[in-house]
Amino acid sequence: MRAIVIFRKTLREMSRDVWMLGLTLAFTPFFVVLYWIWFSGGSTTYNVILINQDRGVQSPSGSTFNAGDEVIEAIVNEITYADGKPLLKVIHAQDRLEAGPILKDRGAAAFLLIPEDFSETLQKMQNGDRSLSANITFGGDVSNPYYMVAVTLALAGVDGYIQDVTGQQPLIAYVEEPLGASAARSEFETYVPGALIFSVVLLVFLAAMTVAREIETGALQRLQLTRMNSIDLMGGITIALLLIGAVAIASSFGVAVLLGFRSLGPLWVAILVGTIASLSVIGIGMVVASLTRTVSQTFVVANFPLALMMFFSGVIFPMPKVSLFTLAGHDFGLYDILPPTHAVVALNKVLTLGAGLDEVAYELAALTILSVLYFAVGVVLFKRIHLRSG
Amino acid sequence: MTTVLQAQSLRKCYGALMAVDDLSLEVCEGEVFGLLGPNGAGKTTSINMICGLLKPDAGQVTVRGHVITNGDASIRARVGVCPQNIVLWGQLTCLEQMQFIGEMYGMRGKAARIRAEKLLKELDLIEKKNKLARTLSGGMQRRLNLAMALVHDPEILVLDEPEAGLDPQSRVMVRDYVKSLARRKTIIITTHNMDEADRMADRVAILDQGRLLIVDTPAALKHTVGEGDVLEIDLEHGSMEAALSALRPILPQTSTANHTLVIRARGVVEQLPVVLDALHAVNAQPGEVRLRANTLEDVFISLTGRRLRE
Repeated sequence: MRAIVIFRKTLREMSRDVWMLGLTLAFTPFFVVLYWIWFSGGSTTYNVILINQDRGVQSPSGSTFNAGDEVIEAIVNEITYADGKPLLKVIHAQDRLEAGPILKDRGAAAFLLIPEDFSETLQKMQNGDRSLSANITFGGDVSNPYYMVAVTLALAGVDGYIQDVTGQQPLIAYVEEPLGASAARSEFETYVPGALIFSVVLLVFLAAMTVAREIETGALQRLQLTRMNSIDLMGGITIALLLIGAVAIASSFGVAVLLGFRSLGPLWVAILVGTIASLSVIGIGMVVASLTRTVSQTFVVANFPLALMMFFSGVIFPMPKVSLFTLAGHDFGLYDILPPTHAVVALNKVLTLGAGLDEVAYELAALTILSVLYFAVGVVLFKRIHLRSG
Repeated sequence: MTTVLQAQSLRKCYGALMAVDDLSLEVCEGEVFGLLGPNGAGKTTSINMICGLLKPDAGQVTVRGHVITNGDASIRARVGVCPQNIVLWGQLTCLEQMQFIGEMYGMRGKAARIRAEKLLKELDLIEKKNKLARTLSGGMQRRLNLAMALVHDPEILVLDEPEAGLDPQSRVMVRDYVKSLARRKTIIITTHNMDEADRMADRVAILDQGRLLIVDTPAALKHTVGEGDVLEIDLEHGSMEAALSALRPILPQTSTANHTLVIRARGVVEQLPVVLDALHAVNAQPGEVRLRANTLEDVFISLTGRRLRE
């Protein structure tokens, strides 16, 4: 009952804090719109330096065959997004000396060197000489995350061109079978779930701050004199924040859908996943609040779980599984204690692979258990640290 | 009179600092009880233990025989506390936060609202009931701070420095309001203002450095340092020692403080010609002569040798 009173009071306070509420609700939709502006056409391009030293050859008909120029054209024209926009942007360089500084400045992810005899070799292969190989040298800063993608795409373009020109059949015919709608996802669509998870994770600040403000202003002492206990306080604040989190998630999805985002699975399941993930993040916020006394302290302390959730849950990049135990056929890993780990998997299943509620039941159960766990830890710590007289 | 609140041998330490040492006192039903002492005397620590916010290292506090310090919320709710600092929720209106705190004490929403409106009216805040607390003036916020302590109609009201930070108009209003509550409620006031304690309290406990020095009515306390009024004479010329020697045989309660002769006696003004003659006899030339009533500050000085604000 008292939790409901605190819920009403918290909601009322938040509704009047226009800046805080506005920023909380508009944060993710704003980033969804930004992503749409940047990536709606799949606009990420990978810069590749092409050092074309090919001399070309005279064909028997008398025309000039310049395979170096043609392969560059193929790389630009054939390696594209679904809408035909190029994936690779070619930067021309005379030699490796010129390419070096560009690579060091990360102006390009990789270089390809087309040798002097490239056309000559291909011409011989066209004439049936299968003992030769066309030599392409490539390289770059392999620590650059774009390097592998750029090289793979560029070499695919080169391979395709050589097969076309020489009539050489590929040794292996690879058939790609993408899961669900993953192949049809635009770059914008792949970024939307990440933005949603990010907004959920940021609730750790709001949750911790809301509680810490009660401590800092002395309001907690006033409340301590009433019949309130830590479950009332944290429960009331959690319900209010959960409501705000759910509205933020639903509105973010709404904006995304308006901008062309497609969910293969039911959107309400995705919203449910986001909402339960919010609950567990709020639980972590309660733990943070228990360990702090001022709003400024919460900002410092909350950065720790925030960084863990962002970098170790697979939101930004995949993390290797560190298995701890197996439960009911599910391998439970170290990073599974982080709510976003389950939220990322569940959202991917729903949005991209078309999973329904039953297929994300494990992730939802894990998120619910984590929520209860973090909330309970927060309540116990808060009671011991802030509500114990003396 | 029935004892409502009893503190028994309370002790509280913060590290090496003994904030409250062996404090025992009894507060009777319907009385206004003052805790007087300089800053750092242990007043706030004492009331935090009295209202159950702070657990004593030793001793206990009981309200009508029930121990308040064991965490029983229903006992704690018998006490209403108006803290020294203004503790309000700035984003709630006056009415909303009073209703909120009432409901937190277990009152039904409607009952809390009716009670809140009554208190707001009594404290002249009714016209501001729908204004956010953060938009109120400092004096209004202090009055609202007081009203918040009374929403749940507590049996005991604890006021921590109630006049601190109040403008003169609000000070009079709060003083009159607290007086109007007297007899209906048991009131404990902490203050370092001797006039405030003298004017408002039925009994006063004087604390210094965590220890209780004395408890009695203001009149009785003042009586302990001498009956009647106080005559203060600054000497322009002459020996202070000689003046003291000349006056003590006539008026035994004569002392010196900072080059001033302090004479306490019933009807001291009638003794003025005798005093002046005695001073003349030892070639002491009086400068400024002041006549004032005995104060609790005199009591504090006599007990500690220091002024309250030193």
